[in-house]
Amino acid sequence: MESGTNAFLEVLRMAFGDLAPGWVLVLGSTLLAVGGALTLIAVNALFATWLERKVSGHIQCRFGPMYVGGWHGWAQSLADGIKLITKEDLVPRGGDRTLFMFAPALLLAAIFGAMVAFPITPQIYFANVDLGVYFILGLSALTTIGVVMAGWASNSKWSLYGAMREAAQVVAYEVPLGISLLVPVMVAGTFNLLDASAEQSGWYGMHWFIFRNPFMIPALVLFFVASLAETKRAPFDLPEAESELVAGFMTEYSGIRWSFFFMEEYAAMLLMSAVAAVFFLGGFESPLTHFANALWGDKLFVTADGVTSLSLAGLPYHLAAGLTLILKALFGVFMMMWLRWTLPRIRIDQVMTMGYKYLTPLSLLCVLGAGIWEAIRS
Amino acid sequence: MQVQATTTPAGYVKNIWDSVVSTLVGMRITGKYLMQKPITVQYPDERLPIPDRYRGIHYLEQEKCINCLACARACPIDCIEMDAIRHGKELEWVSFTLDYQKCMFCELCVYPCPKDCIHMGTEFAFVAFDRSEFKFDLLSFKGMDRAARVRMKEAEAKKKAKEEAKAKKAAEAEAAAAESAEAPEKQQEEQAEKQDEEPPAEQQPEGDEA
Repeated sequence: MESGTNAFLEVLRMAFGDLAPGWVLVLGSTLLAVGGALTLIAVNALFATWLERKVSGHIQCRFGPMYVGGWHGWAQSLADGIKLITKEDLVPRGGDRTLFMFAPALLLAAIFGAMVAFPITPQIYFANVDLGVYFILGLSALTTIGVVMAGWASNSKWSLYGAMREAAQVVAYEVPLGISLLVPVMVAGTFNLLDASAEQSGWYGMHWFIFRNPFMIPALVLFFVASLAETKRAPFDLPEAESELVAGFMTEYSGIRWSFFFMEEYAAMLLMSAVAAVFFLGGFESPLTHFANALWGDKLFVTADGVTSLSLAGLPYHLAAGLTLILKALFGVFMMMWLRWTLPRIRIDQVMTMGYKYLTPLSLLCVLGAGIWEAIRS
Repeated sequence: MQVQATTTPAGYVKNIWDSVVSTLVGMRITGKYLMQKPITVQYPDERLPIPDRYRGIHYLEQEKCINCLACARACPIDCIEMDAIRHGKELEWVSFTLDYQKCMFCELCVYPCPKDCIHMGTEFAFVAFDRSEFKFDLLSFKGMDRAARVRMKEAEAKKKAKEEAKAKKAAEAEAAAAESAEAPEKQQEEQAEKQDEEPPAEQQPEGDEA
């Protein structure tokens, strides 16, 4: 399979190539990818809210949800979702109705677009974007527009304050986020997620970028902190700050529209953690994928004489790769939750100080250090 | 994370160091809590042990009570009311109510009782839709503790089993009398009777104990 084609399209072409015209296949593959990404976002939101409540519960020596669904309240967020769907969808009087209704959709669409560009395994992806990191970071930064839109359209001072804070925070933290990610990008020599992951294979995990040079660990920490601010997570959850701004930009939202904000938040957390996993923690590489590769090979799609065919021998490898990435990303999500229930929310001036005076120069320093290190090494 | 204004490079580094260290210390503490067993219990299913001298809803040992009104007189807020009609030595109880809207669980009603028949129970959770429902009738053992309730339920079950066994026996005797007229099925009936008689035979002694 060539670089840049998508796996969904290939499978459809193999199955229905003789029957349907090309544009139907393209449309079908797009629908598959869209459905897949939407399902991922929804399931992730359900699972992550449950996990968040369990983690917060156990950190505070409680149980968290225990009843719904039987086993440790696994169906709690499903029940919450049903409740949210049946709730009234209110639009505040005096608010901008159109923008108010559109804001959560824009928010979700941005993160959703970023998710579609993320490869699931080395050969199963919708689009192998060469500037993948740019694309993903750019689209996930677009969620800020949704937040500002929601804050403005709510016709509420608190909401507007929340939106302003979000805007200020994202402007401050996009810089260290991008620069700290530049360290592994520079080492890998590519913006492509698959290439960066492939670069880290071998040596039983010792080729992971995190072990590559001493500036990688601070870079990962900086990226992690900046991504916390980027996804509006505590201790940088100033935009929603329930104790001072009454949930900030989502004060006026109710029902399913309100839950869109949380879907976005958890999807962004997963996405940021997945980016960190690909660029620092070895991407698809793990003992699992290593052995699956050694035993059955890693090719799900084999191209011979211009004809692409499916080889099921590669299936274990791709299952392992997908599982590896998800687990690494979930580990990042768990760290974010752990941090949320550890640290108190910091003041807005402290947030700005940290972003501009600490993270940005330090991430620049990391880039410099890593560059010099790599230059000497090569 | 106390970030101070800095003018010196050393202060800058110290701020970073302090932030990282304090975050790690915090995460170690929360991580420890995360790993430890929760200290809360799943309330309706399991409950924390109630202390022996806990003062919950009263329970009254009705057979012992002699309607002397000592508890009602001792009550500082007059929430106990009782009434009984005396037939010689027998008491015919009309009511023994305790108004839990007023009761402050001071236990003063327990001490003056000459027959030691009113006690503080362990039950503390009670809700109602109406104020009048808080006027509990203690005659039906409403306020007794769980152990006592279990004992009473067991006694009731035994009583019921005894009555059922009696009724069954009577029914069987009737059936046997009716069926003895028909000769060919007699053997089968006898077997059936034997099988049926076994459970009552087991239940009988238990019922006597109760």
